[in-house]
Amino acid sequence: MSTTDTLIRMANQIAANLGHEDDPASATAEHIRQFWDPRMKAAIRAHDGTGLSPVAARAVAHLAQA
Amino acid sequence: MSVVRISDDAVALALGADALATAFERQGATVERVSSWGMHWLEPLVDFGGVGYGNATPADVPAILAGTAASIGRIEEHPFIAPQQRLTFARAGRTRPLSLEDYAASGGWTGLMRARETGSAATLEEVMISGLRGRGGAGFPAGIKWKTVADTSAPQKYIVCNADEGDSGTFADRMVMEGDPYMLIEGMAIAGHAVGADKGYVYIRSEYPHAIAKMRAAIERCAHIIAPFTVEIRVGAGAYVCGEETSLLNSIEGRRGEVRAKPPLPAIKGLFGQPTVINNVLTLAAVPWILSQGGAAYAAYGMGRSRGTMPIQLAGNVRHGGLYETAFGITLEELVNGIGGGTASGRPVRAVQVGGPLGAYIPVSQFGLPFDYEAFAAADALIGHAGITVFDDSVDMARMARFALEFCAAESCGKCTPCRLGSVRGVEVMDQIIAGRDVDTNVALIEDLSETMKFGSLCALGGFTPYPVMSALTHFREDFMIQESAETIA
Amino acid sequence: MTYQPQKDFGTPAASADEQVTLTIDGRAVTVPAGTSVMRAATEIETSIPKLCATDSLESFGSCRLCLVEIDGRRGTPASCTTPVEPGMVVHTQTPRLQKLRKGVMELYISDHPLDCLTCAANGDCELQDQAGAVGLRDVRYPVAATHLGQTKDHSNPYFDFDPSKCIVCSRCVRACDEVQGTLALTVEARGFDSKISAGLATDNFMGSECVSCGACVQACPTATLVEKKVVEIGTPDRAVITTCAYCGVGCAFRAEMRGEQLVRMVPWKDGKANHGHSCVKGRFAWGYAHHGERVTAPMIRESIDQPWREVSWDDALSFAADKLRAIRATHGPAALGGITSSRCTNEETFLVQKLVRAGFGSNNVDTCARVCHSPTGYGLKTTFGTSAGTQDFDSVDDSDVILVIGANPTDAHPVFASRMKRRLRGQDGRPPARLIVIDPRRIDLVRSPHVTADHHLALRPGTNVAVLTAMAHVIVTEGLADEAFIRERCDWDEYQHWADFVSTSANSPEALEPVTQVPADSIRAAARLYATGGNAAIYYGLGVTEHSQGSSTVMAIANLAMATGNIGRRGVGVNPLRGQNNVQGACDMGSFPHELSGYRHVSDEAARALFEAEWSVILDAEPGLRIPNMLDAAIDGTFKALYIQGEDILQSDPNTHHVAAGLAAMECVIVHDLFLNETANYAHVFLPGSTFLEKDGTFTNAERRIQLVRKVMTPLNGMEDWQVTQALANALDLGWNYTHPSEIMDEIARLTPTFAGVSFSRLDEEGSLQWPVNDAAPNGSPIMHIDGFVRGKGKFVVTDYVPTDEKTGPRFPLLLTTGRILSQYNVGAQTRRTENSRWHEGDVLEIHPADAEDRGIRNGDWIKLASRTGATSLQALVTDRVAPGVVYTTFHHPDTQANVVTTDYSDWATNCPEYKVTAVQVTASNGPTEWQRDYDAFSKKSRHIVPAEAAE
Repeated sequence: MSTTDTLIRMANQIAANLGHEDDPASATAEHIRQFWDPRMKAAIRAHDGTGLSPVAARAVAHLAQA
Repeated sequence: MSVVRISDDAVALALGADALATAFERQGATVERVSSWGMHWLEPLVDFGGVGYGNATPADVPAILAGTAASIGRIEEHPFIAPQQRLTFARAGRTRPLSLEDYAASGGWTGLMRARETGSAATLEEVMISGLRGRGGAGFPAGIKWKTVADTSAPQKYIVCNADEGDSGTFADRMVMEGDPYMLIEGMAIAGHAVGADKGYVYIRSEYPHAIAKMRAAIERCAHIIAPFTVEIRVGAGAYVCGEETSLLNSIEGRRGEVRAKPPLPAIKGLFGQPTVINNVLTLAAVPWILSQGGAAYAAYGMGRSRGTMPIQLAGNVRHGGLYETAFGITLEELVNGIGGGTASGRPVRAVQVGGPLGAYIPVSQFGLPFDYEAFAAADALIGHAGITVFDDSVDMARMARFALEFCAAESCGKCTPCRLGSVRGVEVMDQIIAGRDVDTNVALIEDLSETMKFGSLCALGGFTPYPVMSALTHFREDFMIQESAETIA
Repeated sequence: MTYQPQKDFGTPAASADEQVTLTIDGRAVTVPAGTSVMRAATEIETSIPKLCATDSLESFGSCRLCLVEIDGRRGTPASCTTPVEPGMVVHTQTPRLQKLRKGVMELYISDHPLDCLTCAANGDCELQDQAGAVGLRDVRYPVAATHLGQTKDHSNPYFDFDPSKCIVCSRCVRACDEVQGTLALTVEARGFDSKISAGLATDNFMGSECVSCGACVQACPTATLVEKKVVEIGTPDRAVITTCAYCGVGCAFRAEMRGEQLVRMVPWKDGKANHGHSCVKGRFAWGYAHHGERVTAPMIRESIDQPWREVSWDDALSFAADKLRAIRATHGPAALGGITSSRCTNEETFLVQKLVRAGFGSNNVDTCARVCHSPTGYGLKTTFGTSAGTQDFDSVDDSDVILVIGANPTDAHPVFASRMKRRLRGQDGRPPARLIVIDPRRIDLVRSPHVTADHHLALRPGTNVAVLTAMAHVIVTEGLADEAFIRERCDWDEYQHWADFVSTSANSPEALEPVTQVPADSIRAAARLYATGGNAAIYYGLGVTEHSQGSSTVMAIANLAMATGNIGRRGVGVNPLRGQNNVQGACDMGSFPHELSGYRHVSDEAARALFEAEWSVILDAEPGLRIPNMLDAAIDGTFKALYIQGEDILQSDPNTHHVAAGLAAMECVIVHDLFLNETANYAHVFLPGSTFLEKDGTFTNAERRIQLVRKVMTPLNGMEDWQVTQALANALDLGWNYTHPSEIMDEIARLTPTFAGVSFSRLDEEGSLQWPVNDAAPNGSPIMHIDGFVRGKGKFVVTDYVPTDEKTGPRFPLLLTTGRILSQYNVGAQTRRTENSRWHEGDVLEIHPADAEDRGIRNGDWIKLASRTGATSLQALVTDRVAPGVVYTTFHHPDTQANVVTTDYSDWATNCPEYKVTAVQVTASNGPTEWQRDYDAFSKKSRHIVPAEAAE
């Protein structure tokens, strides 16, 4: 499994577990902001979104804005 | 139709009561199996129309039914029975042990009903007034023990009946359980009512299979009467020390039968750590009478601080062995030579041991001693469970002293050092004395050991073993002073 | 100081508030009601002779030496069993007592070998002391029967049992019953024949249920039960108080020494975590410290296919520094990282993270808590506001209901388990606490002597969240929630949001039964008991955290405690049972890549500023890499160098192939350890470490208790671990100059608000401190969240059950879960190098009889255990401790390599690996797998050492 695959899995998992938050996408983005190393954040942002759940994809979009 | 009454007590059974009963039935008689009158030397005893036929065999049946056999006369009027003051054993010989009908017809359950009517406090008060003391040996006032339990608050309390009757020459507990089981159960139910316990245990020695069977059957049959109180039987496993109350509690709990240090008293922290009344069979069996007739009526019997009656058991080398219930105060002379009729061997009585294997040996010179806790204590003796074992003049009292130590060694739980090691060292020292070696030194050593055991032991087993030893030494010193044969001394 | 055994008051302390004054030998003494006369006498330095009494055990009254006379009382009562009463007048020494005691002692000595001069307990024997005290001069008995000359039982590897010297005081039996709670010992037979027996008369100690905790040896007043080391060496001449380096209980010990030789470790009665108890690991398993495989010389090599070269410290450190500098120059600071160890001291851990943040210039620091309790940190910080358990261990004495989930205390936290079992047996007359166990496996607590769980919810592995949510459903829908508590202490809106969620019918026990496989009525009954049974406490372990929803489970636990008001006082709370001696401390010390010491995020400007000022550096405000991400980055080529202190990630971390690949991709791996561990097979620099016996510092246990570790011998490798880290820092020109770990703690206290009041001098004076220790809590904090939560209002978090991606299927139909065993510790680096292996020589696979039958597997057969990740082989143990469909193993042995099988699935929030759920297949096998063979060959080659050439 490549690193990108791992990151996609991590993002999807975070998104799934934050599904009951008021705004799951921003909660997921905030989690990633707090706990991921810059190169991981860069890698997920650079990824084309394939494999990301809708919430995770929106979270990654949030990250890019920040 | 002819109705004959024959006991189904273990003594009667051992002496052929069943075969005798069968023989009567074959002759068309109706046989009622009743409790024993307690005249053991006459068993099996046939009661036909109130007239007794002692030591009966199947061969005697036709003659008994025909009225031609030799009789002992009316049983009630027999000199062994007539003078007795039977409160606890009032039904002995008269009722069928498991018959609820007989029990109720003879005043059964009135004590429990009265307790329920008057309430716990009044019940306790009645027992206090009666002056009833523990019949197991220590003679502790039952009312005070009960009150301690009643006053201790706990989610669960227990009534435990000590039926581990292990003393030599005792059988009164067995006779209650085999002959009048409902009376004991009623006594426990009253105790439960008085202190707020709804669960009772009867701890019976395994050597009493008939008592166990009777008690089990009785508990089942009267469950509806004593409810919500319930009773469970626990069977011992052959350890004498489990007759000691704290070992008994350990044994019921499934633990090693080992003595517990007191305090805490069982009344405060007893069975499963809960407040527990633990009383001997005879103590609890006295309670229904006290409740139905009143504590004051019970206290009217007896002497000094020993109130009520005591079922005394005559055994050993005695002509008329059996159960003799009477008020405290009777002398040993009356009991042994009068009622007991002297020794069975016909030789002169030399000593009696009162209170089981750990009781003191009492010489004939002290036979004026009245049966009373305090009088006995003052004479360095104890009443214990009121078993009297008679010895004639052929007994070697040094060997009896050795036996006491040997018994202690065999039965010690092993918890405390004076008992665990002292008993074995005692036997070894007695062997030296009996062999006549260094007698003076060894007698002094036995005296020191006795003091160590008496004051150092954790419970009565080690603590009372010195009583037979020291009483034998005090009253029969000549038996200890046989020196080694001449050539060894030289 | 010269050697003295710890003072023995004879009977336990009484806890009553009421004070009683009495007179003993003419002197007045005031003690709490319930105190024994014996203890009261000891308080005023009057030593009443005694043998069966010792203050760790309830009084027993069997030796009859402690008899006293009391005015107005008949006879000679035993002072150990007689409680004090107001105005009591006691005489401890009278001619009568003197004679009685001499008489009793004469009996003892009539049955005791008179070989004092050659006895192992010579000089440390209570019988000897008391014979002197009572003035025994002669044994007059014509002795025939004795217990002398009986065969000794040498079966236990750590202590001997010599029945010939036994005085049958039952202290060992009582210690096993009351202190340890195993009830392995008994007195066989009775009277003179009474004999201490482990198990049945046919058993020896090793063959019995004995768990070798040492409580009996400690309790024995003679040489009957004595440490083999004492037999071998002799009695100690000094004692040093220190802290055990095994699990998170943090037992305090007296290291009893002769010179620099450790004679024995004896649990310290004043230790507040263990109160004088110990387990087989801390008490006995310290022989690894001098094991022949211990590496004491630094070693280097250019590549991992070369043999190791022993070199000087200077050479090793400059070799490492050169490599680190070169990598940083080429790849930047982000290519460097470090791993701190939960086995090392707070001070050492703090230095490693400081080296990474301030020296390497990255936040790539992580710790072994990543693989154990990182979800605890996340979950409790989110809900309560701080990453720690809420109670001290003593709190369990006030619990009415104990809920154990995903923990196996009798194996993993044995000393605390004994404490818990004491409460579950209901000693001291109070009704026993009720017990709920939530675990897929029937752990010992479910049923052990005098302890039976009221409810055992044997859930399917991976469904913790579903079970806890179902319990919450019952509590909320049946009106059992403590609304007054919630309104006062928690955010009401968040509670309502959560309550609505758990109340949905989809979250009822009935609806979730197909998922959890726990009968709905069991869940309902357990939930009612937890909510209504009085003080309810939750204890949990790695069975909670090591899941893809580990953090969610921690939060679900916190939700339950808040919803029922079970937080903020004694007897309740949420209690993570920490795996390692200093996992709490390692987390506190800022070992995680996203936070500084005291759990402050690296993005927190104010916190960072504090450190930057102290350290004169600029710190990175972005989180660093976690261990698994470091390995990924290494494979990707962006992470090149790793300094690992005291951790064996190759063996302990999941998916061994992935770990190996990551390590192999790095250019500089520095392993700092006692042994050439499995990770060292991939290292370029080996820096020898020191044991806890060889260093000063502090450990912080699971109850946040900071305790001193004291150096009792010179480090074999020449340096304490903090000195090694400092030397590496200085090889990188960082100019550190700590002269003692106390200076590091001073720095920690300056930089960490929760540690503000901590110092070595205070710890030395007070024995221990529980953080937070600061102006708000100057004496520390045994219980947290008393008047309110650290974060303000307690936060209810909705924990939706999200099943793991690891699924069973036709190829892998069974679920593997993992755990530990009493005698071994984690990867076994220490315990495997002791006699503890006698209890557990290899990992075995527990499999249910039905699953074994289906596969034709019998007890003891070699089997192959395969998952989607890899395969290994080990022996089978057929047992119904596990449910059908579940298999279980431990991970203590490198030749088993259970982590070859585990996956790289992990907790969503913290990446704590999902050790507890792996889909596997089990088949018959006849030997090691290919991986095991290859690895064995590689490992042999990789461990080759060329010794340094002797200087001519």
